[in-house]
Amino acid sequence: MIRWAPRSLQARMLLVSAVATLLALVLAGAVMAGLLGRFVTEGLDRRLDAQLLVLASVVDDEGRVDRARLTQRVAAFGSDPGWQWRIVGPDGAIGAADVPTPPAGPPTPPAPPAPPAPPGPHPVEAKAVDGGALHARTITLATRRGDVTLTAAAPRAVIARPIEGALAPLLMALAGVAALLTAALLVQLRVALRPLRRLREQVAAIRNGARERVDDDQPAELAPLATELNALTTDNAAALATARASAANLAHALKTPVAALAIDLRDQPRLAATVARIDRTIRHHLARARAAAVNRRVATPLAPAVADIAAVVERLHDGPPLTIVREIADDLGVAVDAQDLDELLGNLLDNAARHAASRIGVTARRDGRSVTLTIADDGPGIPAAARAQVLQKGTRLDERGDGHGFGLPIVAELAALYGGGITLAENAPHGLSVTLTLPAA
Amino acid sequence: MRILLVEDDRDLGPAIARALREENFAVDLATDGIDAAHLGETERFDAAVLDLGLPGRDGISVLKAWRDAHRDLPVLILTARDGWSDKVAGFKAGADDFLVKPFRVEELVMRLRALMRRAAGHAQALVACGPLSFDSQTGVFELDGLPLKLTAFEWRVLSQLMLHRNAVIERLDLLERVYEGDADVDSNSLEVIVGRLRKKIGATLIETVRGRGYRLVCPA
Repeated sequence: MIRWAPRSLQARMLLVSAVATLLALVLAGAVMAGLLGRFVTEGLDRRLDAQLLVLASVVDDEGRVDRARLTQRVAAFGSDPGWQWRIVGPDGAIGAADVPTPPAGPPTPPAPPAPPAPPGPHPVEAKAVDGGALHARTITLATRRGDVTLTAAAPRAVIARPIEGALAPLLMALAGVAALLTAALLVQLRVALRPLRRLREQVAAIRNGARERVDDDQPAELAPLATELNALTTDNAAALATARASAANLAHALKTPVAALAIDLRDQPRLAATVARIDRTIRHHLARARAAAVNRRVATPLAPAVADIAAVVERLHDGPPLTIVREIADDLGVAVDAQDLDELLGNLLDNAARHAASRIGVTARRDGRSVTLTIADDGPGIPAAARAQVLQKGTRLDERGDGHGFGLPIVAELAALYGGGITLAENAPHGLSVTLTLPAA
Repeated sequence: MRILLVEDDRDLGPAIARALREENFAVDLATDGIDAAHLGETERFDAAVLDLGLPGRDGISVLKAWRDAHRDLPVLILTARDGWSDKVAGFKAGADDFLVKPFRVEELVMRLRALMRRAAGHAQALVACGPLSFDSQTGVFELDGLPLKLTAFEWRVLSQLMLHRNAVIERLDLLERVYEGDADVDSNSLEVIVGRLRKKIGATLIETVRGRGYRLVCPA
């Protein structure tokens, strides 16, 4: 299919408006040219009618022409080429050619008017002998010896010439008007489309988490769109909340009977192992379900989240006393849902706490559009060769603890969903340094 | 030692209660949030095990209600909600520990004992009083280095006196921590239990404070 309309709204409006303006200007030009023609024609008609009156004054009641007076009066008509007159009466025809200067040629006699001629002067179209078009007026006088027909004619060029002369400045003026209208239209489009651009910026801000909804205060044409957009984001958030809630409900629904089963079967190691496997499967799929409902349209402050999780990890930690040192600027935020951020931080800090000798350092800084968080412990660390393996699902180098074995793979998976990632490195002089990269808010 | 167990699951609640009673604890089971809030605010417990997803009233709100009523008993949250956000919310509401379902009963018992020991002001697991010693982490009493066999009631009374050695424990306080809420309490039964304990550990260790209660007197 051939696209006739351009993709840009601005170009479409420009195109439509340009076509309309052009049509309007052509119409205006035509009307003005027509009006001008009429005025010129009317002026010419008056002049020709005056000549007819002069001609009529030399014809007496008998239809005879007073030649002496004719010669004298006709001199006033001037001698522009193509201006002609003619008297046709019972005594024959006298034309401009018969008196003093010979004209280019006598006009061909007009076709005998069969219907009774109207009383006043009326226009007649005629042709000069040399083929040039003539504009003629004629009148028929009734005399005792029969009708006398008077005709005065001027070349059509007399009408065309002033129109041609006026047309050039007229077109120039119209072109000027067209340019002005186009410029006005451009300004108008810029002004009119500005709210649209602002709305687009707000939608972009929703996507990257800087806002939760667009302004309700919009021009009348955009207000319904803004309302729909806000309804959409609300629905989206609600769907996300529902997805999470059903994941949590599923957890509760499954884990509680599994817990009851685990208690009843605790004296039967083989069955207890099966229950433990069921539990692992539930945890794994719940973590996946949670991760699938990723919400990037948020801005979560980092420092308070780290402080909360650090407090929880310190309380849950049993073993040698642990110090978690935090160095995070207060204004640092990440475009990660608060619950997901808690999961990321909880798993990383919990992992660090399991291995640290006495100290965990948490630092964060902004790197352009992302935030880099580093959690370093002073534990034994992980040999370089084994580091990649730790991030794989289901791998667990450390068999201690209560089943949070896939902490690091979950962090890796969740961070990747947010467009971030984690890397493991050696913490000097010993220990593991985990670097988590997340989108900045 | 008396524990308030709040769990709405009809299988899990009684199963945990059975397991805890096997460890000599007195257990009161509440199956909804409203009962739980009421029991925790009006009766004396040494610790509470609190589920979060409860009918009637959410566990976090129950915990806040207890803390608002200045009930400072140690609370262990036992929940299927394993998110770190839930843990943060739990500790902020005033929980002392957090255990995710499913769990090993041994782990639950160990953590409860640690909570109650710390609440009584003991940093170390082993508490001694003259010839008597109590491992608060295993619940085992020894007399002169030999294991001491006790009934559940005797264990409850003696562990209470042991954790608060040298202090007078009010009679009513002791009664409340020995008997479960729905038990038929004979006012003389406490004297009977104390009498049997004196036979097992010697007459001088437990002192009767007339009009008030009992005291475990530890020779310096």
